[in-house]
Amino acid sequence: MTISARRQAVQPPAWSASFAATAEEHLDDVYAYLVYLTRDQSLAEDLAADTFEKALRLWGRFDARRASARTWLCQIARTTALDWFRAEERRRRREERSAPAEGVEATFVDGLSPDLEAALGSLSAGEREVIALRVLLELDGEEAARVLGISPTNVSTRLSRALEKLNTKLEEKVEAHV
Amino acid sequence: MSESLIRELRAAKPAPRQELRERVRSLSASEPTRRPFLERFEWRRLVLVAPATLIVALVAAGVIGLTRDDVSGGGDQAASSATTTVALEGTRVSPDSQDSGALQGSAGSDAGGQPLDRQRLKGAPPLTTIAPDPGRVQRFGAELQVRVENLNELSRATQRAQRIAASLGGNVSSLSYDAPSGGIGSANIVLRVPVERVQTAMTQLSQLGTILGQRYGIEDLQPAVDDYTRQIEQTQRRIARLRRLLRNPSLADEERAVLQSRLASARQELTQLRAGLSGTRQEGRFATIGLTLTTEEIEAVTPGGGSKLDGIKDVLVWEGIVALYALVVAGPIILLGVLIWLALRLRRRREETRLLAQT
Repeated sequence: MTISARRQAVQPPAWSASFAATAEEHLDDVYAYLVYLTRDQSLAEDLAADTFEKALRLWGRFDARRASARTWLCQIARTTALDWFRAEERRRRREERSAPAEGVEATFVDGLSPDLEAALGSLSAGEREVIALRVLLELDGEEAARVLGISPTNVSTRLSRALEKLNTKLEEKVEAHV
Repeated sequence: MSESLIRELRAAKPAPRQELRERVRSLSASEPTRRPFLERFEWRRLVLVAPATLIVALVAAGVIGLTRDDVSGGGDQAASSATTTVALEGTRVSPDSQDSGALQGSAGSDAGGQPLDRQRLKGAPPLTTIAPDPGRVQRFGAELQVRVENLNELSRATQRAQRIAASLGGNVSSLSYDAPSGGIGSANIVLRVPVERVQTAMTQLSQLGTILGQRYGIEDLQPAVDDYTRQIEQTQRRIARLRRLLRNPSLADEERAVLQSRLASARQELTQLRAGLSGTRQEGRFATIGLTLTTEEIEAVTPGGGSKLDGIKDVLVWEGIVALYALVVAGPIILLGVLIWLALRLRRRREETRLLAQT
């Protein structure tokens, strides 16, 4: 294959792909990731909308050679969620004295067994997000590492710990039923 | 983790509601059409910055070095300079001649176009002479540094220099000769030659070897001569007046004695003034040439080319100094900025970990 032929075979540059198509393609993944991160579907919807608003503003700076669109959108989603967590923490601190803390939705993922959902709910956000990225979205170690801002080795460690904890919680639930 | 669990998790992957899809679609309606910056910007261009900067620095140094007039040895001055430990320049005004006001002389042409190539080595500057103004009384001084091949040549050149001075009606004012058997030999000769023959002397002396450097200085003595002449005329008029007064027979003895005393004083003053005038004129009649002969291997600079290169090197050195200075000044600031950035990043990471751990 000649160089020019190889060039022609290469995918078109990222900027030539429309934002609409990219958003449509990855909305499910971004939403699912945010649901796992927040344990709240309505909040995840709001954050997903915010994520795509930000992504639209930053679309001109997106470089497909550095990361896939999905990874890039997940990075934005994570930043958006963390900003919300910070704001929420500040708000909670202010209101803690006068009002009790809000509870988390009992059901945050439809279709899961109650035990598994409860076990997932008992994990921290950091543990849930690594499961979401690696298991649910099926990102490879490098992509997940890019989203989380850590090394791929660290991702593997976090994932195995999270899954181990999830298994333990599940076993506890099963034992409790027995 | 069991496969069934993974399947269950994937099967129950949360899906967004239609409302969210519509919301995101409506956002996409205002999609920008501009080509992204990162796509327009070629990162490889950054790699070109360093060589491009280097090229700009070299070109700037070349242009400045070639066009700058004050580069040492540049232009006409290059013709009379050499990279020796005793750097001699073209026309140099001696410090004691600053008040003379009528200094003359310029480097750049050979004396009378006479041939100077007898023993000139490659890269040696040509002889440049300036002539004193024959219409004025001037003190002319010159220094010439000449390299000879070996100690035998040094001896011959020293003797020949003395003969040149004598043949032109001059003399050797001082001479020091140092010729160690195995080392570098040198001779310093101060010659006095009639000023009207100084060009001939310089030409002949330059043919003793390779010219390494030369320096000229001219001090205009004409104002001093004019001053002496004016004072002599005044004194002569005073003496004539005193003589007229002394011829008066009705002068009292005391008055006559006073006038005679004044007359004697004026005559003495006149004698001194005439001696001063004579000495000054004598000073202007002979030029002083300091000739240094050496066997030391000192490379003479090629007029033009070498000195231009020096100019470029000078500018490059200055550019390097400026770059180093900027680095020294900006370095701590950049380092501080990097440290602050790292600290903020670490703090943010810790905060994120804490948030994700407790949520």
